[in-house]
Amino acid sequence: MSLSSQNALLPLCQLPAGALGLVIELQGEGTFRQRVRELGFGESAEVKKISGRSTILCQVNGTRIALSHEAARRILVRPQFSPLAQG
Amino acid sequence: MSLPAHVKPPTRAPIYAFVGNPNCGKSTLFNALTGLKQKVGNYPGVTVERKVGTAYSQHGQPVTVIDLPGAYSLAARSPDEAVTRDVLLGRRTGDTQMPDRIVCIVDGSNLERNLYLVHQILDLGRPVILVVNMMDLVESAGLKIRIDRLEKELGIPVIPAQASSGKGHIELKLAMSRTDLPLPKHRWDVPAAISRSVAELQASLQDNDGKPPLIARAEALLLLTDQDPVRVAGSQPLSERTTGILDHWKRQWQEEGTDWSGTLVAARYDAIGQLVQETVDTSAHLTDQNTSDKIDAVVTHGLWGWVTLGAIMTALFLSIFTLAEHPMNWIDAGTVALADGVKELMTPGDLRDLITDGVIAGVGGVIIFLPQILILFFFIGLLESTGYMARAAFIMDRLMGRVGLNGKSFIPLLSSYACAIPGIMATRTIEDPKDRLVTILVAPFMSCSARLPVYLLMIAALLPPGEGSLLTRVGLMVLMYTLGTIGAFAFAWLFKRTLLRGEPPLMIMELPPYRVPRVKDVVLQMAERAGVFLRRAGTIILAISIVLWGLTTYPKSGYDISPGEQVAQSYAGQAGKLIEPVIKPLGFNWEIGIGLISSFAAREVFVSATSVVFNVEEDEEDTAPLLQALRQATWPDGRPLFTPLVCFTLMIFYVFAMQCVSTLAVVKRETNSWRWPLFQVGYQTGFAWLICLIIYQTGTALGF
Repeated sequence: MSLSSQNALLPLCQLPAGALGLVIELQGEGTFRQRVRELGFGESAEVKKISGRSTILCQVNGTRIALSHEAARRILVRPQFSPLAQG
Repeated sequence: MSLPAHVKPPTRAPIYAFVGNPNCGKSTLFNALTGLKQKVGNYPGVTVERKVGTAYSQHGQPVTVIDLPGAYSLAARSPDEAVTRDVLLGRRTGDTQMPDRIVCIVDGSNLERNLYLVHQILDLGRPVILVVNMMDLVESAGLKIRIDRLEKELGIPVIPAQASSGKGHIELKLAMSRTDLPLPKHRWDVPAAISRSVAELQASLQDNDGKPPLIARAEALLLLTDQDPVRVAGSQPLSERTTGILDHWKRQWQEEGTDWSGTLVAARYDAIGQLVQETVDTSAHLTDQNTSDKIDAVVTHGLWGWVTLGAIMTALFLSIFTLAEHPMNWIDAGTVALADGVKELMTPGDLRDLITDGVIAGVGGVIIFLPQILILFFFIGLLESTGYMARAAFIMDRLMGRVGLNGKSFIPLLSSYACAIPGIMATRTIEDPKDRLVTILVAPFMSCSARLPVYLLMIAALLPPGEGSLLTRVGLMVLMYTLGTIGAFAFAWLFKRTLLRGEPPLMIMELPPYRVPRVKDVVLQMAERAGVFLRRAGTIILAISIVLWGLTTYPKSGYDISPGEQVAQSYAGQAGKLIEPVIKPLGFNWEIGIGLISSFAAREVFVSATSVVFNVEEDEEDTAPLLQALRQATWPDGRPLFTPLVCFTLMIFYVFAMQCVSTLAVVKRETNSWRWPLFQVGYQTGFAWLICLIIYQTGTALGF
């Protein structure tokens, strides 16, 4: 991961597997944004992408959460440096 | 401490509600406390039904406990969550009394997320007991929760527990036995941007909807996050005035660009974050891969995930069809023996025939599927309680996404292979109402076990012994199951593009940590579901069996006619003749028509109905005489009736047609109108007719 991409926002679906991201912005309908926030997945939550290209698996706050691709596309994250890129 | 009037210790024993996120161990705790048999599972939202039990306080006083469906928030997104919200807010006074006290169960290993719901509940201003469950997971993750600190901050009893081992049960019972449960210290500031609207809504809820002050405040806060309120039948609607105020504020915020719901959720999480920081010591937190993560690496893997799912599905279907065989034969033999016994005891006559041919044969014909249904429920229970079911939904999500559904529709469709009724009931956890309806509409296409006897009979008629290899027979059977599955997916695709157009579903689903299932819980759950099935067999199916018996028995004429002739001139026979013009283009005559009509009781009744129509001495142990009769059956002009083409067409008809009254009754209950079940009869049976017409006419033209 190059330094220049550090500050760019990525949709969660494009975050590489094993990488950490900080949730910056939620898009989509109000009901969807609200539920994502209620699940502790809102702005400033730290998320670790585990796997997935179509259906995405990630870890937030110690919980495993599966998201459809369409849902993950609406969650914009800022990639973070991770001491363990693959874990 | 003096309590407000609505929480004064009442003269009757208090009613408790158990509330918590899905997978927090709430159901296990409820079971342990009440001893009531109910299901325990891992799949988000498995506790669908409203459960009420009686626990006993330390002084032996009975305490009523309502186990509410698991919810992430009081802003409901699915029917189960709507029930939880409405019971807590006292909106369901018609069926459930508003609980006086609330036991919140949280998963200690994920305290922050779990406390969100608790934070909403503390707004209700009723005594709350907090149970911090899964203390074993908390310890193994290296976390330390300062229970005393949490107790002090919230001002309510906080009980550490481990529901699966029984730790904390006594403490909870003791707390529940207290008459002087304190009200929570719940101070948090509603963000300034929305505080005026909350005050206005609260006032209106008190004046126009007759809510007590604290409930009104909680409901006012909730209305702001309940953007697309899921209304469920039996809950009271809001007054016009309150709706007006709400609309007014929403318009104003929209113009100003205020994200009111985001502000409110963020304010709650801020308060929770502070609380967690003060009460949870994360200094020794382990972030290593735990066992669950290691299993997930295989089970949710792009390739191995499919291999695992495929292996489990194969094992499931093999068990359903092999293990169930002997018990099914026993039930069959038992039914015949019972009918014979009644025949010997009673004098011949209509009453005896009603009992043997109507009640015993009709209900017995359905109960015969109990072993298969038990095996299916056992597997589903096992998969749910280990946590695998959510992974299966995850794996299937991509495939389901192609037709516009999401992974959550997979479990209902899977259950429908045994019987569409549990399948349709399992759709209650699907959040999107359109997705839920589409799943309900297509679920009956999955070949249920009631079609199996029809397929078996037709394959036997199609390929007489000695003709056709075993492979052809199995191939035909697999073809029927495949066609039904393709039909379900194709119509789901069609409905999502036409009738129930909707945004691509945004699935967001928790994958609970894997747990070793407790066989006792799985068996209890299986028994409970089987009980539901049996109750239905005892009511709806019993009634239908009696009606059908009447239709095939009356009107009576003469004494010296054969049973076949009697059926021919009965109401059912007349109906068969009435529909003959419609089914003749498919190659079916009126005798088959009687079979089709009787199938409305349950599809497998086709087999017994044709036995009666073709004058076969009933002998369920052996279908050879029936096959003989089928082969000899002819049209009036002497052409054979059951040509291979007709047998094949008939099987196809059974794949697609909607012929099950019990399913229709369940669809009516779940969708709250007759519109959708009637639509199902129309579109499924219409499609079946059309495709059979094409097959039969093409086949005839090609000389089959």
